[in-house]
Amino acid sequence: MKINMISRSLDDHLPSSSTAPHPLQRNLAPHLHPFAKPREYTRALTAAKMERMFAKPFVDALGGHQDGVYCLGTDPRRVAIVAGGGGDGEVIVHSLALRRPIMKIPQAHKGMVGGLCWTAEARDGKRGLVTCGKLDGTVKVWRSEAFAPGLRDKEAFEGNEFGSGEGSSSQAILDTAGAVGENGYDFDEEEGGGLAIDTGRRDQLGKNLEPSMTYTSKNGFNGIDHHRNDPVFATASNTVQIWDETRSNPLSTLQFGNSLETVSGVKFNQSETSVLASIGGDRTLCLYDIRTGKAERRIVMQFRSNCLSWCPTLPTTLLLGSEDHNLYTFDIRDLKSPTQIYKGHVGGVMGCDWSPTGEELVSGSYDRTIRLWNRDSGKSRDVYHTKRMQRVFDVTYTPTADFVLSASDDGNVRIWKSNASSKLGPVSTKERQAIEYRQKLVERWASTKDVRAVKDRRHVPASVHNTVKLKREMIEASKVKEDRRRKHSRAGKEKPKAERKKAVIAEQL
Amino acid sequence: MDALIASAGPIKPKRQKPVPRKALHKTVDRGPDKEAIDPSTHSILSSTRLPSSFHHSSLPTGSSEAQIRPEASIARIGDKKLRAKVARNDVSVKRAQVERDEVNEWLNAPLAGGAGGIEVDEEEGERTWKVRQDEIVREVGVASAAKKFDLKLEGMGSYKVDYTRNGRHLAIASSRGHVATFDWQAGRLHSEIQLRETVRDIKFLHSEAFYAVAQKKYVFIYDQDGVEIHKLKQHIDVTNLEFLPYHYLLVSIGHAGYIKYHDTSIGTLLTQIPTHLGSPSSFAQNPHSAIIHAGHSNGTMTLWSPNLTTPHVKLLAHRGPVTSIAVDPSEASAGRYVATSGMDGIVKIWDGRMWGKEVRSWLVRNTPTCLSYSGRGMLAVGGKGGVTTYRDLYSDSDKSPSSYLTLPLPGLSASGSQFCPFDDVLAVGHEKGISSLLVPGSGEPNFDSAEADVFETYSRRREREVRGVLEKVRPELITMDTDFLGRVKEVKGGETYAEREARSYRQLGRLERLRADGKADEDQGGPAGVVDGADQDDEAEEGGEEREEKRKKKMRGKGGSMKRYLKKKNKRNVVDESLLAMKAKVAKQRQNEEIKRKVASGEVVRESGALARFG
Repeated sequence: MKINMISRSLDDHLPSSSTAPHPLQRNLAPHLHPFAKPREYTRALTAAKMERMFAKPFVDALGGHQDGVYCLGTDPRRVAIVAGGGGDGEVIVHSLALRRPIMKIPQAHKGMVGGLCWTAEARDGKRGLVTCGKLDGTVKVWRSEAFAPGLRDKEAFEGNEFGSGEGSSSQAILDTAGAVGENGYDFDEEEGGGLAIDTGRRDQLGKNLEPSMTYTSKNGFNGIDHHRNDPVFATASNTVQIWDETRSNPLSTLQFGNSLETVSGVKFNQSETSVLASIGGDRTLCLYDIRTGKAERRIVMQFRSNCLSWCPTLPTTLLLGSEDHNLYTFDIRDLKSPTQIYKGHVGGVMGCDWSPTGEELVSGSYDRTIRLWNRDSGKSRDVYHTKRMQRVFDVTYTPTADFVLSASDDGNVRIWKSNASSKLGPVSTKERQAIEYRQKLVERWASTKDVRAVKDRRHVPASVHNTVKLKREMIEASKVKEDRRRKHSRAGKEKPKAERKKAVIAEQL
Repeated sequence: MDALIASAGPIKPKRQKPVPRKALHKTVDRGPDKEAIDPSTHSILSSTRLPSSFHHSSLPTGSSEAQIRPEASIARIGDKKLRAKVARNDVSVKRAQVERDEVNEWLNAPLAGGAGGIEVDEEEGERTWKVRQDEIVREVGVASAAKKFDLKLEGMGSYKVDYTRNGRHLAIASSRGHVATFDWQAGRLHSEIQLRETVRDIKFLHSEAFYAVAQKKYVFIYDQDGVEIHKLKQHIDVTNLEFLPYHYLLVSIGHAGYIKYHDTSIGTLLTQIPTHLGSPSSFAQNPHSAIIHAGHSNGTMTLWSPNLTTPHVKLLAHRGPVTSIAVDPSEASAGRYVATSGMDGIVKIWDGRMWGKEVRSWLVRNTPTCLSYSGRGMLAVGGKGGVTTYRDLYSDSDKSPSSYLTLPLPGLSASGSQFCPFDDVLAVGHEKGISSLLVPGSGEPNFDSAEADVFETYSRRREREVRGVLEKVRPELITMDTDFLGRVKEVKGGETYAEREARSYRQLGRLERLRADGKADEDQGGPAGVVDGADQDDEAEEGGEEREEKRKKKMRGKGGSMKRYLKKKNKRNVVDESLLAMKAKVAKQRQNEEIKRKVASGEVVRESGALARFG
């Protein structure tokens, strides 16, 4: 006879010292874990609630503009600099880290600023900002050390012919140097001081700043975009013009056929850098190549587009924000129909931008809201609004994808978190694991009613809410009408048309 | 432009199988219908995967195992994105299962301390049921032998016992009011109180810090030091208590036969359900589904949840009161098998998937009074004179099972018994105190510290309490089918009202649209639209019932006010003078008409002479 009994050694089960963690023993057999599903469900529900509880997307509003802000230009090479162009021709360069303007140019243009962009390089330690006027028909290049104070680190540039804009070293330094707000350089007095500059001196500096280059044209400019690395930029007036930074006349003028319709926006592709796209008042989207100097192809859409953006990671993907409240992504290899329609706004989409990863996008609308989208789904992931924010005219992601910036009619540039419930500041490993676990739980249980209700519910302003209802009713009515028409016409004569096919009217080569 | 399109390549043609090509690097296989991924060119995969070194095939044990594939039925899902998602999920669940088994085999089992058991030489004539307690004590080590003890508490009445979920602490309560809780392994007394009144049951709440006692009139909650902290006035004359640890519900049943669910985390009574079966004779919970089993004096067993006012199941278990119920929590059963004992001396095993007939039943010599299941599915049947234990009960044999160990208590009868979780010990309460008896092989050796830690410290207990309350399962989720949550609902025919309401106007059928517009012609009965003007007046007066009756032989213009009056009169079915007069008048009229008709048709020739006046 042999008898065994359970006997546990305390050495295995008690902590080896007072500071050692308690030893854990796991048995993953399901019978020792009753109610696994209900408990996980409860956790998922709690996680969804916590996510909504922590959702405080608004970070700050950057003021200073006397009129509405109608265009934004983030510096693609530095994380925390954005320029805003106002309705009265004022251009303000904001530092996101300091949350205050670092440069104000009060009379950059007469009348509205049409567009803003940053040059690809710096010259003589000065970062360049290109602005265009919608009414006065000028393009101006502004250069100042105050745009990027970090570039004045003289030791780094000793003996280097910095400013040619060709060497890769200059760009590398540009990427790291202009990090405003980290440790502001207190540089030369005569140039206006460092980041600790007081507002009076800063304003004086802005008033005295003269454009380093001015280009004039008969027509006003509606949009501008800089080439990714060459000293070349494109403007949108009634044609698309390509300019060299060093020459006063346009390098070339691009137009589709003899069309002289207003072009409202232009953007360079980020990967195949000589390709650019424009949108026009004649409801068109047109693609050009500056090497051939030709308009390649064009599509005419049902409604005019207000904004466009190239996907930074998928070179053939293009995003359009349309007057019909929707956004469309196109694959330029097949322009017959959009690859995805993003529906949700109840006003025309005025601004749109891709996140740097190309997985998400943001749009700002005339209905006073900002919406964030996943590339793969046509329903918005989140919607941002505040009481004081008026019509949104431009939105961008910051280069780190942490924040979204919006420019609106009320004269503020607003900073929003790109993920409403994310925590700002350092996150410990344990905390990050908990956050990731919660995200996964919500994702996994999102199909159940309770979790989905908590997860998807968003409060929108009453005006938007009512408009959504009204719009839904109108769409229903028109669809009913369509159904009836189909029913009373000969079978097969009026076929239902897929929503995606409706957007594009014609493709022209 | 062309360079961009050329370098981007053509859009992938639809429904075309990729040509298999020789990969330069090691590839990640994604199944036969998909192109293998080269990790060097795809730095970010669409789905996160386990590192290849952890793949099952590269483990020393798993080389011969087949590749994990999603279930075949998933291929039927039409939506491509959804199909991929479901398939991925399915594979990850299966992989987790395999990995869990491996972890159990390689890591947990050696740490657990080994399962207990008795090996006997059958040929020598040794039998397990012949093994006595003193023999076991002699055979096992000193630490295990110390687990056998008796507390002699005479003259206090018969005792009830309850272990905490981790098996570390024991609460005892005598029928005359002696209540004590202690850490039985360390031999440390937490509290001891003399209540000086009848005590019928005792139960630990979520930890050893609180316990509920069913006293003469009310239920009281005491803390670890024996200080009374709550008096639950809603629970009157309670005979039995149960605590559902994941729902934080204290369930009681009293002489009046009301099952009461009390939420101990917020202190409110959730619901009370009358059983209409009087004072219960036994009470138990299913630890895997939180369903409450109540045994009654008429021999029925009923199954309850707070969500139904009627029992989920009601079955006649015994001829005579059901004396005890126990649910098997072990791996083989996971709450499916239930044992009941009756005053008729029979023990029955039931299968929760099919209540029609018991799986097994046998007669025991002394009337069984208390049943208890161990963590590995061993059943203890206590009665007068001691406790008998059984194992391997679910084989389909008609014979009565042979006992595993007999634990005699001479001259005593067991009033309460419970196996210690995660240990080979059975605590039995009787008239002279309690006995802790050794039953090798009864306990689950391998505990999980995240669920019930045998060596729980104060700080870990605090953490568990907070997490437990955060994860408190809603009482609405108590169902008979524990797999119910998160499953896809099968469509059975028509849609629900809510679904119909949710559909947009355009998606409605014609009749539904008309109904929504208020233009529907709801008159489904006779041919609609033939009601003439005169009759419509009629109906307006009489109400809707008139519609059913058919009016035959209607002739236009022959109606008139008199007929209408008559019809109305007939409806009331009151015969009075005016009606008779009217009827006579009508009869006369008819006769005249008849004669006129006959004259007109020539059947009758009217007298035209002087005698014509006599008809």
